[in-house]
Amino acid sequence: MTTGIQGWHAHPALLSSYVAGDLDAVAGASIEQHVSRCETCRAAVGQLLEPQVLEQTWTGIRDAVERPALPFPLRLARRCGLSEPTAVLLASAASLRGAWLVGAFLSLSFATLAAYASGGTALAPFLLAAPLAPVLGVAAAYGPRQDPLEALIATAPYGRTRLILLRTIGVLASVLPVTVLLGLAVPGPPWLAAAWLGPALALVPVLLALAGFVGPRTAATVVSLVWSGVVLGSTRAFAPTWPVEAAQQGVYLGLAVAACAVIAIRAGTDRQPGVAL
Amino acid sequence: MGTTPIVTDAALVAAVADGDMTALRELYERHGAWLHARLIRRCNDHEVVVEVVQDTFVALWKDARRFRHDGEVGAWLWGIAFRRMVSRLRSRRDVVLVPDWDVSPAQQQLMPSAEDQVLLGVEYGDLAAGLRRLSPEFRSVVQAVVLDGLTTKEAGRLLGVRQNTVKTRLHRAKAQLRTALTEPQEGWR
Repeated sequence: MTTGIQGWHAHPALLSSYVAGDLDAVAGASIEQHVSRCETCRAAVGQLLEPQVLEQTWTGIRDAVERPALPFPLRLARRCGLSEPTAVLLASAASLRGAWLVGAFLSLSFATLAAYASGGTALAPFLLAAPLAPVLGVAAAYGPRQDPLEALIATAPYGRTRLILLRTIGVLASVLPVTVLLGLAVPGPPWLAAAWLGPALALVPVLLALAGFVGPRTAATVVSLVWSGVVLGSTRAFAPTWPVEAAQQGVYLGLAVAACAVIAIRAGTDRQPGVAL
Repeated sequence: MGTTPIVTDAALVAAVADGDMTALRELYERHGAWLHARLIRRCNDHEVVVEVVQDTFVALWKDARRFRHDGEVGAWLWGIAFRRMVSRLRSRRDVVLVPDWDVSPAQQQLMPSAEDQVLLGVEYGDLAAGLRRLSPEFRSVVQAVVLDGLTTKEAGRLLGVRQNTVKTRLHRAKAQLRTALTEPQEGWR
């Protein structure tokens, strides 16, 4: 047997039994080693496969290659394990767009600047703005007026509760880190940088629970007014840090638990998804 | 006019790196089919095979620049495809196919004996006989690491054993094959 590699080609019958999976491992492996290096036999294998399958695969490749690249936040969300449709729904929320985030960042910066300029005596601007930034962000993240995809979402078999919670998490993830960083720059006791998180995280479920009854707009207005009243009212009689001290934090925790309970009960009594929110 | 100049695979990969869709299509024409055929022997879920081939060519489109022009395009594509398949099959052991190492009588009739000898002789010499005598655990390791080009770590993942086990088995399998090659075989030559 002196046949060289170049001159030898697998017999068509051998190739077709390879493609059909009839060869044992050793013969199959030798075919594979040969085919991976022999253009002629590669082409012969191509003739033996079903053209529809090859065409189907190619269609998938072409679609993937020609699809425009997703914007960066979407790719980030995909990296975090979200499916592409979910990522698109998430990113369509008004408060996750660049303009909204820049606005939140600027107002928080001014509040921080004001607190800083007063030397720690006027914490009210920061304490007012910091917890409201995520609350307003969440309120703007859903509802018929704010959502360009509202008509689509309303007709799609997609859990509204899931979407709202998802967007809430998205808003919190985008707003909270910046606010924490700014909080570190606020003069005053060091725990202040974290203390505002209490009211911030309590007001979000309160807003969601209220929105289930009166809609996100009204709920956001009510929550903002109440919180402004608490902060501004306290500046007359108490220390600047009063709204975020330990006793008040307990109240916020109670509020958050009550709000979550309301949401859970309403979601439980009505089985239609998303009705509670 | 005249004979069409034959473009090499490597030149096509370079064209793909510059965003040439027709070059991608041409590479798919040349390599898509045998990748399908080779993958379907390792996984009996048709959908997975189609997706893996798609992933492979999408990866080629994105990473064509990373192709080092010292190897074969076919081998490179197989490396991408099989690694993707292994990571995809991690959670789906039910569709992993381990090749059948026993020759069926029907197949022996089907395969012309001269052809068999040429093929195995050209590619492996006496290796074929040696491979057939290995125990199943050793064969699957040889298949994954030597023939399919996985690292020992990846082979461990595919076969569901620890990396060190793969290394030990591979070592012993190679020793056995070496013995098989140096001993004169009955019925061969």
